[in-house]
Amino acid sequence: MNRNRIIFGIGVLAFVSVIATVRLGGFLVDNEYRQPDRQAVALEERGEAELTPRQQGIADEQAADEAEARARPYEEAEYRTVPFVGSRVTVWVLAQLHLLFAAFVLAVPLFAFIIEFVGYVKKEERYNKLAYEFTKLLSVSFSMTATFGAFLTFGLIILYPKFTNYLMHIFSPTFLPYVLLFFLEALFLYSYYYGWGKFGPKMHLFLGFMLNIVGTAIMFIANAWLTFMMSPGKRDDVDGDGVPDFVSAVSESGALLSLRDAFFNFTWMPINIHRIIANVAFGGSIAAAYAAFRYLQAKTDEEKAHFDWMGYVGNFVAIIAFLPLPFAGYYLAAEIYAFSQTLGIQMMGGTFSWLFVIQAALIGNLFLGANYYLWLGMGRMEGGVHFQKFIKWLLIAIALCFAVWATPRYAISSVSEIAAMGGSSHPQLSYLGQMSAKNTAVNILILSTYMSFLLYRRTGRQSVHPHRQLLARAQAIVFSSAAALVIFYGVYGYYVDADVRIRFAIPQVYSVLAALVVITVIDLPLYRNAAQSGETKWGRMPAVSQYALIFIALSFTWLMGLMGYVRSGLRQEWHVYGVILDTSPDAYTPTLGFATQVVSVTVLIFFGLLGVVFWLSSLGGKKDWEPKPVADGRDRLEGGQAA
Amino acid sequence: MKLSVPMPLRLVLLVLGTTAFYMYLGQIVPQKEAHPPPPVLISAEMTTEDLVAVGAELASGKGQCLVGCHTVGQSGPLRYPDLDGIGARAATQIEGLSGLEYLAQSLYEPAAFIVPGFADGMQPIDQPPISLSEDEMKAVIAWLQSLGGTPTVTLDTELGY
Repeated sequence: MNRNRIIFGIGVLAFVSVIATVRLGGFLVDNEYRQPDRQAVALEERGEAELTPRQQGIADEQAADEAEARARPYEEAEYRTVPFVGSRVTVWVLAQLHLLFAAFVLAVPLFAFIIEFVGYVKKEERYNKLAYEFTKLLSVSFSMTATFGAFLTFGLIILYPKFTNYLMHIFSPTFLPYVLLFFLEALFLYSYYYGWGKFGPKMHLFLGFMLNIVGTAIMFIANAWLTFMMSPGKRDDVDGDGVPDFVSAVSESGALLSLRDAFFNFTWMPINIHRIIANVAFGGSIAAAYAAFRYLQAKTDEEKAHFDWMGYVGNFVAIIAFLPLPFAGYYLAAEIYAFSQTLGIQMMGGTFSWLFVIQAALIGNLFLGANYYLWLGMGRMEGGVHFQKFIKWLLIAIALCFAVWATPRYAISSVSEIAAMGGSSHPQLSYLGQMSAKNTAVNILILSTYMSFLLYRRTGRQSVHPHRQLLARAQAIVFSSAAALVIFYGVYGYYVDADVRIRFAIPQVYSVLAALVVITVIDLPLYRNAAQSGETKWGRMPAVSQYALIFIALSFTWLMGLMGYVRSGLRQEWHVYGVILDTSPDAYTPTLGFATQVVSVTVLIFFGLLGVVFWLSSLGGKKDWEPKPVADGRDRLEGGQAA
Repeated sequence: MKLSVPMPLRLVLLVLGTTAFYMYLGQIVPQKEAHPPPPVLISAEMTTEDLVAVGAELASGKGQCLVGCHTVGQSGPLRYPDLDGIGARAATQIEGLSGLEYLAQSLYEPAAFIVPGFADGMQPIDQPPISLSEDEMKAVIAWLQSLGGTPTVTLDTELGY
């Protein structure tokens, strides 16, 4: 039987079932049991309504409810609850979904603009086409962001009315600029997307530039609201003793003292920096996942080549942004420590210590996934076998660093366990959990991943530079020196006092960053006009590489969910840290198991919605619907009806 | 016969499998709900010994002294000074300050004196977010005195803050 006829039949059956159910329900209500007594007959004769026992019960309940409502004085609600799920989880999921879509909407224009600019400078149409492909994802995602933003706002107003009112008291002057910027973002976003090919390149680039500026400004405003909750003030050397003092933006009772200090609070800029970088990494991974999705659907070699390249660029963007992300993370963590040691220790120790073990697993998987994709990418080019012998060593280095990073410094411990250990750290294992070891691990991870990228870049290419041997040696020396310096400071950190050790992270970071820059600077002329030992065959990647890209996107999303939880959760029982206490039934930190369940549900909802975004975005590339021709020459509709 | 799994189903399995894996990691780590610290009852008739016990409880709980900051009886690279022997050491830390005065200062004004080799970082614990009451501060001081020294603090002791 024709499939369309079956679907049509099911639809008709469903419709008839609904009508039949409604009619049956109506019939049963109309023919309710009535008492066959004389009083009922008398009422009917007088023309008064006769109530069935059910109707009487409903009327009595309504009367009782009304009487209770009238007797109850009006009270301002402090909290409201959501049955089964709870108000905290509701707001948590809504906020996270809003943030995930917002991160994507803010990130994609950033690298779409850069790719378009590169295409404009290099005069290559393929970059323009790629940037447009990325931008296709924006339209639906922007609607999703706005929808979840509205859900979140209503959720906060309904479920946390008193606290939301307090935030309005503090930040109401920022709301109008926020709305205006949001309006401008919609204007620039749609003109950037729909204006593709309609404006001159410079004008179009200007629209993209403005879209990024406005989007970033929106994020900065929203970041002020959330960072205020964590650090409601700034640090300033008030008494001139050279030591920064805490300057609260609000009084002890929560009254606003300085909007400027509330807005530009202590963790505002670290969060801004961290979010910009994280958004780009996340956006790149999601765009790469879209390319992977399209690659797996592709029917032609041309489509495969295009989406393979798109996936590569998306992943490249994600990894390039991901490399400095741990530095931004440590900067943020250091600032949180500097603001409040208690807050910092809550974050890295105590309740959240095991959370960072899961974070380590996620980051380790991201590094492994990214490296695996690069290693598979060597198959695109002939001559890749030459470098494959290095892969096992890189894998060992990554696995070792992964293990060190996953070792917690402090463990969740009971009071008796703390007493037995003389503190909340394990006597032996905590050595690996210290910042000296972790900083070393992450820096070596970054160097290893960069090495994978360099190997990928060299695959199938032969430098023709006259000083190629010298330059290659220089790169090797820089790389080895950076690795040696990182390890030296990592080990030396165990032999010095805390105030010295804490400063060792700086030379470690700078040596790695300097190595990345110097090696890149050497690599550009070294491989300019390099001889190709074979052609790069885009579209030749195995399907597993595309699943790796989707896995990376999933891990990024999960990581964002997890880190969103710790950023918010480390305030513990405070709405605004140290100022406004949470007195709701949810004023406790849930178990990590529960938190990961909420994060997982959020990730699944996000990926379900992302599937819709991908599907809608891919419709643009499909052929227009056309009626199918029939044998007698007349057109026939797909459903079988004659046109 | 070769079993071929359709691509959409593979994607769904990948998404569900990866999410389930990470969620599983969350289930196998130690689970603990962190509730706001319960109020510690300090009654007027408490002796110094009672205060030491309460102070020990506060140090591991509401006061957060041993939750990632200080240690007792550990050596090696430490974040903040080990508290073992502080009861005896306190009197010799700053010239002119008695052991009691030093301990009170280190809790109320921790930035006033930083033990050499360690970084500044501790916040006054009578203020939010820890917000120990005056009696709770006395209990913590009594506990600190007990670490290598003889506790002398009672609820009538004047701390000068």
